[in-house]
Amino acid sequence: MSVLTFKQVSKSYSQGDQTVDALKIVDFSINKGEFVAVIGPSGSGKSTFLSIAGALLQPSSGEVIINNKAIQNLNSNQLAEVRLDEIGFIFQSSNLIPFLNVEDQLLAVKRMKGKVTSKDIEQARDILVKLGLGEKLKSFPEQLSGGEKQRTAIARAFMNDPSILLADEPTASLDTAKAHDVVKLIAKEVKDRQKAAIMVTHDERLLPYCDKVYRIEDGILKQVEHANASAH
Amino acid sequence: MYLAFKELQHGKSRFTMIAIITILISWLVFILSGLGNGLSTLAAATMKNVDAQYVVFEEGSRASMSRSIISADLVEELSKQDNVNGAAVMGQLPATVIRTGDNEEVLKTDITIIGIEPGSFLEPTTIEGMPLDSGNNNGVIVNDTLKDEGFSIGDTLTIEGSKEQFTIVGFVSNETYNHLPSVFATMEKWRTTSFAAPGSDKDVANPVNAIMLQGKDIEADQIQASFKGIEVVSKQAAVRGMPGYIEESGTITMMLVFLLIISACILAVFFYVLTLQKTNQLGVMKALGASQSFLSKMIVSQVFILSLGSIIIGIIITYLTALVFPAGMPFDLDTKLVIIYGLSLLIICTLSSVLSIKKMKKIDPLIAIGRVE
Repeated sequence: MSVLTFKQVSKSYSQGDQTVDALKIVDFSINKGEFVAVIGPSGSGKSTFLSIAGALLQPSSGEVIINNKAIQNLNSNQLAEVRLDEIGFIFQSSNLIPFLNVEDQLLAVKRMKGKVTSKDIEQARDILVKLGLGEKLKSFPEQLSGGEKQRTAIARAFMNDPSILLADEPTASLDTAKAHDVVKLIAKEVKDRQKAAIMVTHDERLLPYCDKVYRIEDGILKQVEHANASAH
Repeated sequence: MYLAFKELQHGKSRFTMIAIITILISWLVFILSGLGNGLSTLAAATMKNVDAQYVVFEEGSRASMSRSIISADLVEELSKQDNVNGAAVMGQLPATVIRTGDNEEVLKTDITIIGIEPGSFLEPTTIEGMPLDSGNNNGVIVNDTLKDEGFSIGDTLTIEGSKEQFTIVGFVSNETYNHLPSVFATMEKWRTTSFAAPGSDKDVANPVNAIMLQGKDIEADQIQASFKGIEVVSKQAAVRGMPGYIEESGTITMMLVFLLIISACILAVFFYVLTLQKTNQLGVMKALGASQSFLSKMIVSQVFILSLGSIIIGIIITYLTALVFPAGMPFDLDTKLVIIYGLSLLIICTLSSVLSIKKMKKIDPLIAIGRVE
């Protein structure tokens, strides 16, 4: 079942007198349990694609449907609500909140929705223990290594039980071994929890962990053939 | 609230600096309010203590006792007016007195002689000694600050440059008039002292400076219209009519208002800069799905917690410093005033977060993807 669908989506910005087409008529959909990679050179429209998929940006034309909800006509508060309910973000530089410990990072997502219950605390601990952060529950971001930070960010992305997971260059600040660990972890969690995940990356060594690979160039999205590691 | 508190906890040194400034400002606000209150007590305590709602002056005196001479004979007619429950006469006279008698030590002091009818509602209760007695025209009851200066019951006071003499028969507390301790004398004694020079009473029969009227629903305008040569004002107007009273309290009030505005500006700028620094962090929270109202609440509660804590500490320091102020300093902290100024500071500081909220609202969650121009 498709959890995210782009129908004839385009996005253009005006820069001075010129109009820049960041996305040119993109059709795309992703199902539960699917892990998709989007690659492309810088300036190709990758982040525009990710921003629209993550309800951070409205398309100029076309339809974007996240979990049966069309988002192209929502206002900024309604978009925030969609993000809170449906999207799990993993940012390039983990982007943890500096004054919260690992456990509170996850619970902050719940606080945005309302009250934190003892069930939420249990859930947060569960996720963190699973991701090997059981010892770091009370650590602050400055006390974590790069890999631990990124794992915390992954844990946070799962906290709101989202339909779609969006990872923006999640391995950019990690060495090769850590990068493989992190992407393997994302792939595993996506399968275990039956989430849809999109990862924007320029690191082609990580593509074998993905089910499908798309290349985006000058605003045009195309699927490319690749060897899937899990298929072997 | 939780996140706001966590952030305060985490950024202790940064927020401590802001708190120190808020504490210093609130400290100054409370000290000024104590001084203002003390000064206004010194200026007009006796007038403020008067248990009356309206005051009758001579026409044209603009609510000042020192400019007004009317006849005590009016009391009878005034008492018959609608809603007037009581009327009593009052006179004032600034003077310098010397202690005379067998004492070897020379004592001189400035006072205000307040003339009243013994037993009228204008007579304050003595805390020591006897009340005024119409049979003893020389007896006076005086403010207890004179006791601190060395005067005691039984002392004889002579007005400088005159032969008039008084004997202290009792002490009262918190009675000052025009910054000087009040000395309550009988009306008769006050008259002979006040109008010693021939013609100084302008030929008014039984002259007094003012007549105090009791009664909540008195029609001041109506009374003023039905008598010749008088004006009727509220007691508040009479307090404001005291020499220098408006100028003094106006100065303090102006300083207080400026302090409140300055503290609001300082806090607003501090939190604005903090918000600027947190642009990325707030963008990330927005990207994660935090609503505007969630983040607004976070900012407001942060300012609120910080201001509340600082103001409470400011109040504590103020009470501590009040303990070491010299005794003669007109410093009088009124709990009611402390609460009023504390609350206004709190409200103004909290309102100053509006600037930060405006900034926060403009932050684009796209910043989390790191590609906002």
